[in-house]
Order: sequence, then structure tokens, then C-alpha cells
Amino acid sequence: MTAAAIEARGLGKDFGSIRALDHLDLEVRDAEFFGFLGPNGAGKTTTVHLLATLLAPSRGAARVAGHDVVRESLLVRRSIGLVFQETTLDRDLTVAENLRFAARLWNLPRRIAEPRIEHLLRQFGLLARRGDPMRTLSGGMRRALDIARGIVHEPRVLFLDEPTAGLDPRARRSLWELIQELRRSSGLTVFLTTHYVEEAEPCDRVAVLDRGRLVALGTPTELKRAAGVGSLEDVFLARTGHPLAEANAG
Amino acid sequence: MRAVYGIVVREFVRFLRQRGRVLASVARPFVWLIFAGAGFATVFAGAGAIDYRRYMAPGLVGMVVMFGALLASLSTVTDRDAGVLRMLLVAPVRRSTIALGKALGATLLGTVQAVVVALLLLPLVGLWPAPASLLLALAAVVVLSLALGALGLVLAASIRSLENFAGVMNFVVFPMLFLSGALYPVHRLDAALRLLAYLNPLAYGVDLLKHALLSAWAGAGFGGEMPVALDFLALAGFAAAGLLAAATLLAREGGVTRTAFRQGG
Repeated sequence: MTAAAIEARGLGKDFGSIRALDHLDLEVRDAEFFGFLGPNGAGKTTTVHLLATLLAPSRGAARVAGHDVVRESLLVRRSIGLVFQETTLDRDLTVAENLRFAARLWNLPRRIAEPRIEHLLRQFGLLARRGDPMRTLSGGMRRALDIARGIVHEPRVLFLDEPTAGLDPRARRSLWELIQELRRSSGLTVFLTTHYVEEAEPCDRVAVLDRGRLVALGTPTELKRAAGVGSLEDVFLARTGHPLAEANAG
Repeated sequence: MRAVYGIVVREFVRFLRQRGRVLASVARPFVWLIFAGAGFATVFAGAGAIDYRRYMAPGLVGMVVMFGALLASLSTVTDRDAGVLRMLLVAPVRRSTIALGKALGATLLGTVQAVVVALLLLPLVGLWPAPASLLLALAAVVVLSLALGALGLVLAASIRSLENFAGVMNFVVFPMLFLSGALYPVHRLDAALRLLAYLNPLAYGVDLLKHALLSAWAGAGFGGEMPVALDFLALAGFAAAGLLAAATLLAREGGVTRTAFRQGG
């Protein structure tokens, strides 16, 4: 497959009269670490859910891992991992049981699933907690388990929707290291949404979204040079006329 | 299908871990046997022909199935609240597969609970059915669990929150129980209520259980009232219709809803 990992053409979504996503043209390359930066309500989650086939687009089209998100939704879902903003883990199941449940949903035979789960638990520092109910984990560990759950079937594209939201600074940092490490070791395409500038900084390329519109796209260096400013924060300000922090607060 | 198996295993493991739920499901029919049994026995028209507690036994087994299967399916509402439903929706499986997995999970839970209760209840009321009758009873319990599990899924997919749960209990569970023939024969009801009873899946399940367990009292009018084949057919119909409706309703279930978007997605 030589197609781009993600390809959107004029993709848009309305909720009634609210235009959540206006018109998105986007191409994410294979193995790229792609950042989707914008304030709350910019349409980031809507975009992720459109690409993950959870929402039907109001207009336009998109292909993920070479498959059309409307006509080939099952094939798309087979090739992607998605970590939602809120946890999707079962509180009453143990750490290992949660991963086993996901492995079965993704149709992995036991002999493939078990060693992989073992490996993920070790990689994510959860081995000692494998038999504990998920509800006993700390916020950071839950997030790590959520990500492990999202890649147990070795997807081609991993969507991380605000993965560090709601975590304390220390948990954020260690989760962030985990994501970086995962990226280096797997060569996975990662599509990360965030409203934290510092999380967009290490991305290969960044798309800046505001009020359902793409306002900038490029490597962090390109974006800063084009806007003649020193930080991505200033890029957002230069492109939208209002600061990112203020948009986040509002 | 591995996904179906995964969903069924999860339902079962969760059930076993909720000690209170296991205990309540086993204890509930005995509470009814003692209290409702004592009360109804005094006004029961069949006194002399059959001991009222013995008459209640098939209905109580049906009641266990109803609570077991219906509550298992209604856990889908909790799944939605907890976010687990999203994991199911983003998995590469059809909505109908999710519905099937959930319904089969409910079938397993309903059946296991009914078997455990029956093993304690039947000797207690002096019912010692023949092996063939026990097989018929088991088949009745399985098919009834599936039908009620599917119905529970439809309810779960239609109600939005746990607050509506009490409404479901009051307007679905109790009418279903009272119009099932579990506590009194359906043929003694007046025509309008009898018609409602015929729309009630539990009535067909309880009827089958009476065929299996009370055949000795059929002559006195306390056995099954409808043909066995019709009971099975009706239950299969409820199961199929329920599964179809549940799969359709689940297909409408998306990732973000309008409300979620307004909250800032």
C-alpha cells in the first residue's frame, strides 16, 4: 500500500446548524507523527471521529489506511487504533482482562494475543498490576492502559485524542515519554490532537485548526518561519487573530 | 466469532465479580416464595388441587430468567456511561455482532441463574420432574433468556440514562411479571388482560416451564395452557425481532453526539 495513511478531501460535518468541521483537506504520510493543534471546540474530536468511522461526514470524503471511511468502515476500523479523550476501559475487569477483551474484539487468536499483551504490559510498566482491577489504577496508568488497548491489534494508524488531558504534570510527562518511545520503536503513524503547544512541538508536521477551519499546516519550524514568530503559540495568534490560551479558556 | 465470545466472557466475569448481584438474583425468588407465597396461598382458588408454592415454582424460575437476562442486557446503558460502548463501536465488528454478543451474554447469565435457583427451589416445593421434563425446562429457560436478553437490548438502546431505569422496572418488569401467569393462571384473566399477556414473552416462557414442571396438574387447569410448539415459536419470534431492532438502534449510536460536541469536542 503506497497510499497516504490518512487522506481527507473537503471533509466536513455539521450538527444541525453548527458547523463543527467546515472543509478539511489533509494528507498524513505513513509513519508520520502528526499533530492536530487547536483550542477546545475547534473540531479536533469531530475530525478524529469522522476518520475513525464513528460519525458519517456531512460532505467530502476521507480514506484511512487506503480505505474509504464511509464505504469500507470495517476495514478502516481494523487498521486503526483510537484512544478516546475519556477512558473506554472496563472498571471491573483487571488490567490484563481489559487487554484480552480488546484482543478478542479485534479477532486476535489467543496464541498471538497473549505474548503481545505480555509485551505491552512490560513496555507500559503495568506488568506488576496485571491482575488488579482497572479502577485501582492511577490516572496516568489508566491512560497508558488505554493506549496499550488501542494498539493491541498493531494498527497502522493510531489516533490519540487529547491523551494527556486531565493528567497531573508528572503523569503527563511520563505518558508523553511513553508515546515518544512507542513512536520510535514501532514506526506507527500517529495522529495526535492536542491543545497544548508543547505537545505539538515535537511532531513531524502540525495542522492548526480553529473553529472548524484549517488555518495552518506544516512542520513546526516552517510554521514559525512563515509567520515570522518564535513559537507555535504565536503561529496560532498570527493566523487567527486571537491567542490559543484565550480560545482554550473560552 | 471471537468478538461474540469476548463479549460473552466479559459479561460473565463482570457478573461473577458483583457479589451483591449474584446473591440478590439467587435470594430474590425465595423472598417471593415466602412472602408472596404466603399471601397468595390464602386466596388461591386452586387450594386443594395444588399447593400454591408448588404452583409458583415455574413462575419463579421464569422471574429469575427475567431479572437475570433483562438486567444483563440493560448493562449496555452502564457501558455507554462508562465509555466501554465506544470501544465496542470502534472495534471492527458489525453492530449486529455486538447485539448478538450482548444477547448471548444475557442468555448465559439468565440460564445460569435459573439453573442454580431451580436446583434449590424445586426440591424445596417437592417437585421432582423426570429427565425429559427437566430438558424441556432447560430449553425453555435458554430460549426465554435469549428473547428477554434481546428485548433488554432494545430497551437499553432506547433509554438514554440510568435515571430512566426505575421507569423501566415499574412499567416493563412488573407488568411483565404479573401478566405472565407466574402467580396465577392466564386463562383466569379477563379478555383484555389476557390479550396483553399474549404480547408478553415471559408468558410464553412461564407456560413452557409449566408444561415441563406442572404436567401432573394440567388436568386441573394449572399446567401449560398453550401448545409447546407455539410457545417456542413465539419466543423465537421475540428473540429475532429484538435482535434485529437492537442492531438497528446500535447502528445509530455514534462517537460524538450533539451534546458531546457542545460540551467542547
